[in-house]
Amino acid sequence: MKSTSHNLVMSALYNGRKGDRPPAGNPTSIVCHGLMDAAGISFPEAHVDANAMADLALAGHEILGFDTVMPEYSVHQESAALGCDVDWGDRDTMPDSKTSPYADFSDIQIPENILEKPSMRVVLDALSILRHNVGDKVAIIGKVMGPWTLSYHMAGTQNFLLRIGMGEKEKVIKMMRQLMPVTIAFARAQFQAGADVLVLADHVTGDLAGPHHYRELLLPIHKEITSQMGGPLILHVCGDCNDRLELFAEAGFDVYHFEFQMDAQVVVKKVGHRMSLVGCVNNPQVLYQGTPDDAYAQARYAIEAGVNIIGPECAIPLATPLENLEAIISAVREGY
Amino acid sequence: MSGHLDEIKDAVIDGKHKEIEDLVKAAIEDNVNINEIVNDAMITAMDVVGQKFADKEIFVPEMLVSAVTVKKGLGLIKPLLKGKETEPRGTIIMCTVKGDIHDIGKNLVIMMLEGAGFHVIDLGVDLTVEKLIQEVEKMKPNILGLSALLTTTMPEMKKVIEELKAQELRDRVKVMVGGAPVNAAFAEKIGADAYGKDAVEAVRISRRFVGQTEPFPL
Repeated sequence: MKSTSHNLVMSALYNGRKGDRPPAGNPTSIVCHGLMDAAGISFPEAHVDANAMADLALAGHEILGFDTVMPEYSVHQESAALGCDVDWGDRDTMPDSKTSPYADFSDIQIPENILEKPSMRVVLDALSILRHNVGDKVAIIGKVMGPWTLSYHMAGTQNFLLRIGMGEKEKVIKMMRQLMPVTIAFARAQFQAGADVLVLADHVTGDLAGPHHYRELLLPIHKEITSQMGGPLILHVCGDCNDRLELFAEAGFDVYHFEFQMDAQVVVKKVGHRMSLVGCVNNPQVLYQGTPDDAYAQARYAIEAGVNIIGPECAIPLATPLENLEAIISAVREGY
Repeated sequence: MSGHLDEIKDAVIDGKHKEIEDLVKAAIEDNVNINEIVNDAMITAMDVVGQKFADKEIFVPEMLVSAVTVKKGLGLIKPLLKGKETEPRGTIIMCTVKGDIHDIGKNLVIMMLEGAGFHVIDLGVDLTVEKLIQEVEKMKPNILGLSALLTTTMPEMKKVIEELKAQELRDRVKVMVGGAPVNAAFAEKIGADAYGKDAVEAVRISRRFVGQTEPFPL
């Protein structure tokens, strides 16, 4: 196998041939002030303009050396299309939704042309631009939100979790099932637009919900989604998910993107034979506050543990020093 | 008597929000001391809930329901406490920092602090440094609690502390920080007084801190 960025990533997604070195990948945003300055593109333009979005993603490969490009930096593309009032932030602030239009758990009204809503179209256009520009050189990652995360946005996170606590399962499952077609339609459109692989972010994190909630409420839905997708899917769930790793594998995801708070050796041992793994350089202590040596050491630890694709554990803080991201690239370029 | 208290305590721990009002009414009718209902049943129950949460025996959904259960119970008791209220243990301002609207952690901390007898001022989410400083000057709290869920927003905590110093307010208010990406080393680095890993710890810290700050000038 030729060790191009594209080949290294695509092979690693299925735990295939290893090539000369492990790939560096970013299922979530690696945009920081340094990258914005180097690329001459800033937030919020890169959330709302397809060319800016694609160019900033490309900077992750051309300036930093990551083997993937991922153009979706927010988690609110779908929620904006579904009627949330999204503030797209600024250079220093990530986008956030200011409203929860379905706090009453009424039926979700999905616009017929949802893929043409500006917040959805911009991602599809950015992916097409990237496909055209990078060709076969780099792996292109798309991103969709799963029904659990979309429900946080529609109902409000606390409200959604409270309903679960109150045992209102039918209400909760109904909302997620009404949102599932949005996840599937956006995912399919992103593959068609040019994505090689998709991240499905669904924040059923250990900080908020238990493994029993996942098994009972979301696992059946995830199984349906994965069974309907032809391309590779990376599940992103932040936080400590040690107690539900096997369930993620059972759901049918090809890859799991995980955080440093889970030991890479333990994660590989538990589920590395069932899913590929991507991660897990720590954001708050290492990439944001640490040194390049710290980032390098964590990346090497992940490589030696058998993590297939090396990268930050989640969307990085905007004030992350560029050299700490470069240290991840130095670590992967040393090979296995 | 203890039968009523045990029933109320169990109802809170198990999140029986539909039953709590009947149980509290029955206790009041049987002349159970209302301070005992609050302290020995409800607050004790929330301590148990907090510990179960810290031990990962329960998760946020269950904890939220227990908090709702307590709130419903307290709704019946508060009118009876009028005129008998004791001095709150201290005043605490709570908020999430600028750019962060994720407030579940903050809300859970508030529920536990109120349960423990503190007067909590909830400033909500996405607080700018300037607004926070104004509120600290106005409300004169003993403790300022800052919450951030996102790694992208945690740097705001440092800005708040620097501005408290610049405005010569730092010695008058203890600052505790918390949230998923925050840890004790970060708290120390930015000059916070404490890091609370969960709501239970926030209560412990607050109990320790009250009375340790210099008074605000009149």
